[in-house]
Amino acid sequence: MGHASTHAADLGASNVQLPAFALGFRNIALGLAVVGLGGGAAIGYTGAFDTTPGHFWRAYLIAFLYGLSMCLGGLFFVFIQHLTRAGWSVAVRRPAEAIAANLRWIWVLFLPFAVLWALGKAGIVWTWADLETMRANAPAEYDIVVQKTAFLNPTFFWIRAAVYFVVWAVLASFFFNNSVRQDESGDIAISERMQKFAAPTAILFGLTTTFAAFDWIMSISPAWFSTMFGVYFFCGCATAGFSGMILVTVRLRTLGVLKGIVTSEHFQDMGKLMFAFGMVFWAYIAFSQYMLIWYANIPEETGWFLGRQIGGWAPFSFALLFGHFVVPFVLMISKWPKRMPLVLAAGAVWMLCFHYVDLYWLVMPEIPHDIGEFKTYAEVSAKYADEPTHFGNPVNFLLAIGVLGAVAAGTIGTLSRVALVAKKDPRLAESLRFENM
Amino acid sequence: MATIVTTPSETQAREPAPKATRMYGLLAEFETPGDLMAAAEKCRDAGFKWWDCHTPFPVHGLDGAMGIKRTILPLLVFGAGATGTAAAFLLQTFTNSVGWTIWAGVWVTGYPFLISGKPAMSLPAFIPVIFELTILFSALACVKLMFLFNGLPQLYHPLFKSNRFRRASNDRFFIVIEARDPKFLPKKTEEFLKTLGPISVEMVED
Repeated sequence: MGHASTHAADLGASNVQLPAFALGFRNIALGLAVVGLGGGAAIGYTGAFDTTPGHFWRAYLIAFLYGLSMCLGGLFFVFIQHLTRAGWSVAVRRPAEAIAANLRWIWVLFLPFAVLWALGKAGIVWTWADLETMRANAPAEYDIVVQKTAFLNPTFFWIRAAVYFVVWAVLASFFFNNSVRQDESGDIAISERMQKFAAPTAILFGLTTTFAAFDWIMSISPAWFSTMFGVYFFCGCATAGFSGMILVTVRLRTLGVLKGIVTSEHFQDMGKLMFAFGMVFWAYIAFSQYMLIWYANIPEETGWFLGRQIGGWAPFSFALLFGHFVVPFVLMISKWPKRMPLVLAAGAVWMLCFHYVDLYWLVMPEIPHDIGEFKTYAEVSAKYADEPTHFGNPVNFLLAIGVLGAVAAGTIGTLSRVALVAKKDPRLAESLRFENM
Repeated sequence: MATIVTTPSETQAREPAPKATRMYGLLAEFETPGDLMAAAEKCRDAGFKWWDCHTPFPVHGLDGAMGIKRTILPLLVFGAGATGTAAAFLLQTFTNSVGWTIWAGVWVTGYPFLISGKPAMSLPAFIPVIFELTILFSALACVKLMFLFNGLPQLYHPLFKSNRFRRASNDRFFIVIEARDPKFLPKKTEEFLKTLGPISVEMVED
């Protein structure tokens, strides 16, 4: 079938190496990281804009998860290509590998929480870390949570966190290092080894992201549980990962490299993945989680959603529904927006914004402690009609930009050291002449 | 290569035909997909409308070489999906939420159910059915319209008479220009096809 297009792509250094001036972008990203994290910390420390310590630490958790989920999404893309022995994706795999490679150092951004725990103040984010306060403030919740201490205790929490970070770092390094090694040798055995380890990687990835979502997000409301929560967080990872990958690839193309290597065919397929996981699958999982709880109507479970539909959280939830699903679904369902790099990049930026909204919606709302004293839903919503979301607080955006800047700087730094495409991958030729139709 | 076979049309021109036959079209046989692509581009540029390519496997880029316009099928499928959405919503609203009486062949009355204390019009409960009917309507419309647009099912085709055409499912590539094309002139079109570098050109009867 190779007759249709037998053009030879330019694999010379000028086309597959990051131009020297692009390292300036890394410095900009590093500057954003310093300004964002520093400014966020300053606001958190001084309490400007009525920022409570609780809000600051949750905002930082959201920002951390924002960066982490993008790197995990990159890792997901990489191993799923090996798992399925995909040919089309070779031309765009390196940017995803570079994003995933940040998992080697992302644990550094989690260290502030170690300080929080060491100071004995972890209870302001994870209430189960301070059971005595919970017993005093919310005895009903305490009765439930105290039975979960076999899992929710500080020692095991930190052992698990260490396991996640080690597993992610090892997996990301494995795929990145092997792929880069193949740039030199072109050894097919390297592809075969990556394929072989892709299946156990999928299992490890599934378990670690699921339990990380349980530990870091779901346990913020320790009495509540949803078995679907890990999948929901995974959808966020895929959203952020594919969006980040699209943005990196489009930026590389606008820098004038990867000419004739990454084509609109590849953009269309990355767009399909973002559409499928970021919009359709996310909505499917979010609704599946919501409907079971809504239908069963058990107070132990409904409180979590109640906290998200009182006061300012009601319009916030609708904004999430329309911004993460309805609007981009209609706009991105056609073929043409996915094939135009700049339109696709605009879609990716949009999805990244609403991925942040999604994480904010997961972490920030609190279930009212006096929820048991109300007879009806109307009474709760009347009492909390003025419940603010604090979404406009600059600390949110500063921290998110800071973490994103750090991830961007790491990605640019990685890309500056290696070829921008897996240039000796045995399936590169297949990827270069790939066509959707 | 390039052994032009005498076509039936030429012999028929000299002798009186034993029985009246109608010409279906002219069939040109090519050896490689590359030859076919080049020939298809020339056919497209010559302005033929009723013509087609037959290949043993999908040839990438052939759509462009043939100048095939994009199908309107996606738009129709979208319409069918939207119809499914509306149908599912109205069905559930009517049967579960409101007590209206409407005439649908006979007079029928909706019956509002009280289910676990939920409001009669509970959108979350409706969404699975809405989702399913949207998919069902889209999928059925997609398959049926695809068959309709392609003229399927078609159990017989004049090209089956050609012995050469049997290799269309094996290793040869064909272009057929149909006689009903407004630009079709038996002699001239045959000459034109011969300039495209085929292995053979033959007339196919209807």
